[in-house]
Amino acid sequence: MRMRRAVVGVGVALLLAAAPVMAHHAFSAEFDINKPFKFRGILTQWEMINPHSWFHFDVRDESGTVVSWMIEGGSPNQLIKQGVTKHTLAIGTEMTIEGYQAKDGTNKGVGRNLVLADGRRLFLGGAASSPDNKPAGK
Amino acid sequence: MNYRFLALVSGLVVSAVVATAPVAGQAGATGARPNGSPPKAYAAPRTPDGQPDLQGIWTNATYTPLERPKNVTKEFYTPEEALQLAKRAALEESDQTEPGTVADVHYDFTQFGLDRSQGTMALNLRTSLIVDPADGRLPPLSAEGQRRAAERAAARKSRGGPHDSVQNEPLSARCILMDRNGPPMLGGAYNNDYQIMQAPGYVMILTEMLHDARIIPLDGRPHLPPNVRQWTGSSRGHWEGQTLVVETTNLTDKFAFQGSSENMRLTERFTRVAEDTIRYQFTVEDPATWTRSWSAEVPWKKTIGPIFEHACHEGNYGLYNTLAGARAEEKRAAEEAAKKKSPK
Repeated sequence: MRMRRAVVGVGVALLLAAAPVMAHHAFSAEFDINKPFKFRGILTQWEMINPHSWFHFDVRDESGTVVSWMIEGGSPNQLIKQGVTKHTLAIGTEMTIEGYQAKDGTNKGVGRNLVLADGRRLFLGGAASSPDNKPAGK
Repeated sequence: MNYRFLALVSGLVVSAVVATAPVAGQAGATGARPNGSPPKAYAAPRTPDGQPDLQGIWTNATYTPLERPKNVTKEFYTPEEALQLAKRAALEESDQTEPGTVADVHYDFTQFGLDRSQGTMALNLRTSLIVDPADGRLPPLSAEGQRRAAERAAARKSRGGPHDSVQNEPLSARCILMDRNGPPMLGGAYNNDYQIMQAPGYVMILTEMLHDARIIPLDGRPHLPPNVRQWTGSSRGHWEGQTLVVETTNLTDKFAFQGSSENMRLTERFTRVAEDTIRYQFTVEDPATWTRSWSAEVPWKKTIGPIFEHACHEGNYGLYNTLAGARAEEKRAAEEAAKKKSPK
């Protein structure tokens, strides 16, 4: 990635303002950089709402107990333009979720990466509108 | 990030630069395109009641900064430079941050189609959105502007930390107002869409984020009385030929655009310069803040709908989580301090 970026950027000594990775609110205030997690979960609900969507998962912890987690994702508005609906992602879909836990220690997290069982990343970059690459989760 | 995506970006950028070049050129000092040919005349279609038709769904997404970068001295990039810069900006945006950094405590924009290069974007050859002053940068603050900036900073400090209370959270996190609303209306990281509808005597501009319908009367009525102050002010419009001119006053000091005062007077101009492009220009007059007026310009590109309602309060769990997180951290810090005080 660094190499590709260097190739593209070569010869242009002019700078745009850094692309802001800034959402509706400060995620670093909500989630804890020192509490990363990675686990598998079964989707029980997708709240396709603003300002951010929330995915609900059943997750089996180390003792075998099923616990509920809520995972924050992005605004769904662009996905809707790409043809994604709340029915696109089936309840019961299994995913691996990598993210960071809420600072208050509850079972909430931000979903840095949502990866399906077959290795595809959920809704990755325009895949939803490509006819030979159906929306993930269908 | 993958090669398919890179190809997509390249395609988008090329078409956008070509399509937007005349827009940038028309606003240049010579009035001609960068290649020297005269600007093409375009007459917008008319609504049934005879207004130039601005209706549709538009986006002001851009990678062009408001102020010209300090190491840039020219007004326009060449199309090749603009292409390179847009590619790099798209890569940086889709790369986002390095895993394990604080900024990385975030969902992945690309998984939700939210990086700008995945949507419609009118690229501008301009090196800054600010077109006046000629250096492309905000004018210096006036003495009153400097004093007010210091007062505002002191007031913020006296209210405590950013997460001490809900009132200390930014307007965006409280679902009150975002930069997309303005006015002036400027794009942000994502959801930079607008729907314009026209009826006899009125223009309505729906801002996708935070779902605000700005209703602009065209009948020449006066502004609201000076004691009535609103987040988005009081806007009154009229036509000057093909251009919709909207004047806004009655703003509030609870919201400051680039440090503006409540007495900022804003003039926005909407001109449809092509079937798929509106030229959006605005001029800020606010002697209580800046030593002179200043103007900026950004193209709005026709895009696809539907605009999904951005019902911001509906799922705003983040506000609660942020405050709860801050309280949990305070509790932890207090417990640690107590332990240190009385070690067993």
